[in-house]
Amino acid sequence: MNEQRRQILQMLAEGKITADEAERLIDALERAQPESPPGAVSSPKPRPKYLRVVMSWADEAGGDGSGRINVRVPLQLLRAGVRLASLVPPQALTRANAELDKAGVPIDLTQLKPQQLEELIDQLDDVTVDVDDPDTKLQVFCE
Amino acid sequence: MIPYLVTVRHRRRNGRRLRLYVPVVPVLLVLSPLLLLAVLAGLVACLVFRVSPVDALRGIGRLLWALPGTRIEFEQGRTAVLVSVR
Repeated sequence: MNEQRRQILQMLAEGKITADEAERLIDALERAQPESPPGAVSSPKPRPKYLRVVMSWADEAGGDGSGRINVRVPLQLLRAGVRLASLVPPQALTRANAELDKAGVPIDLTQLKPQQLEELIDQLDDVTVDVDDPDTKLQVFCE
Repeated sequence: MIPYLVTVRHRRRNGRRLRLYVPVVPVLLVLSPLLLLAVLAGLVACLVFRVSPVDALRGIGRLLWALPGTRIEFEQGRTAVLVSVR
């Protein structure tokens, strides 16, 4: 048993974390350190650094409407943004909730915890979205 | 690392191009008096809205540190805009 797993179990035993949290932590640990067969040379896949959004579209009428969007955002910037967003005061979130509700989007922003958003960004590494349309192509991926 | 160069390129419909290279540190130094005022205003806003000023400054610092590598490119027809942070 490695040291990190022992620490998680220790925290669970001390009641610092719940069983669900411990399970999630151990899962994350296993994902971070996949077991390799003995003797195999481990070659860790480099972690993606950027989120890319590439979109291109053609003009059906053959005019000047074709175009392209190419956005590259460091994942670190998303993390920093999430942390900054966690400083939004609760009364502002309540007002935002009310406005969202009025607009027909019943989302409770106060339920969104920064840790959950950070987890979401961590999992973005594996996300690839490809939308192919005869005139439009959209790709979202990490590199 | 904080951003040191922001590049803005703009190509207009008539083919004219505008290229702007903004060195961040010299511009920040020139604007430092205004920046100081902005920081003070931000601190007051933090106190009014009961947000920790330290956390806010740390958050903005992280955001600034994470900016290098950002690239936004938009092109439609003969018009194009590129913003790149290095």
